[in-house]
Amino acid sequence: MTVRTASWAEFVSLAVLLLNLAIVHLDAVTSLGGPVHGCAYLIVVILTLRHPGLSTGTRMLGLIPGAGGLLVLRRLS
Amino acid sequence: MPSVPRVTKLLLSLHVLAAIVAIGPVTVAASMFPAVARRSDRSWLTLLHRICRVYSLVGVAVPVFGLATASSLGVLGDTWLITSIVLTVAAALILALVILPGQEKALAGQPVTRLGMVTGIFNLLWATVTVLMIVRPGSTTGA
Repeated sequence: MTVRTASWAEFVSLAVLLLNLAIVHLDAVTSLGGPVHGCAYLIVVILTLRHPGLSTGTRMLGLIPGAGGLLVLRRLS
Repeated sequence: MPSVPRVTKLLLSLHVLAAIVAIGPVTVAASMFPAVARRSDRSWLTLLHRICRVYSLVGVAVPVFGLATASSLGVLGDTWLITSIVLTVAAALILALVILPGQEKALAGQPVTRLGMVTGIFNLLWATVTVLMIVRPGSTTGA
């Protein structure tokens, strides 16, 4: 459950950051989106590393920025 | 402070809020754990460990929002901040590599030594960081 929420937060926040970079360049979005994405990424990495019964490959998948969490979720399901 | 951007104020608020909400419970629960472990009260022990584990994860937000605040204030190179980062890393490593595994061992019924002492060091480290954040020695932006 937590992995799922953090994975989507990781993916969506990066998408918002990139869209902002490409289109509107709002400073507030960059300043807030950056830390939000950072938190979500770190939480995904920690949860993946501590999740029991995962292969090393799956744990490494979690390290991929942006999509790592969702890739791990796909392996888990 | 002369005209701090609103986003910086928001980031700083989130950083302080995360510190209070996340590190507070970890400090209290981790400090209670060794004493409760001596009484071998299992249901309490499980709850205290769960508080430590869950709020440590929430605590990830503290350094992340802290770095964002520091970067938007332009103080990332300041000595007091670098010292705080080093101490925070030390505290995080102690929590993740000694305290949480030690609690897991205690929960599994194995004997654990020095958990109380290590927890004390963790609390001291982050109390030092809090003081550094307030006093900011050498800072020219005012306290």
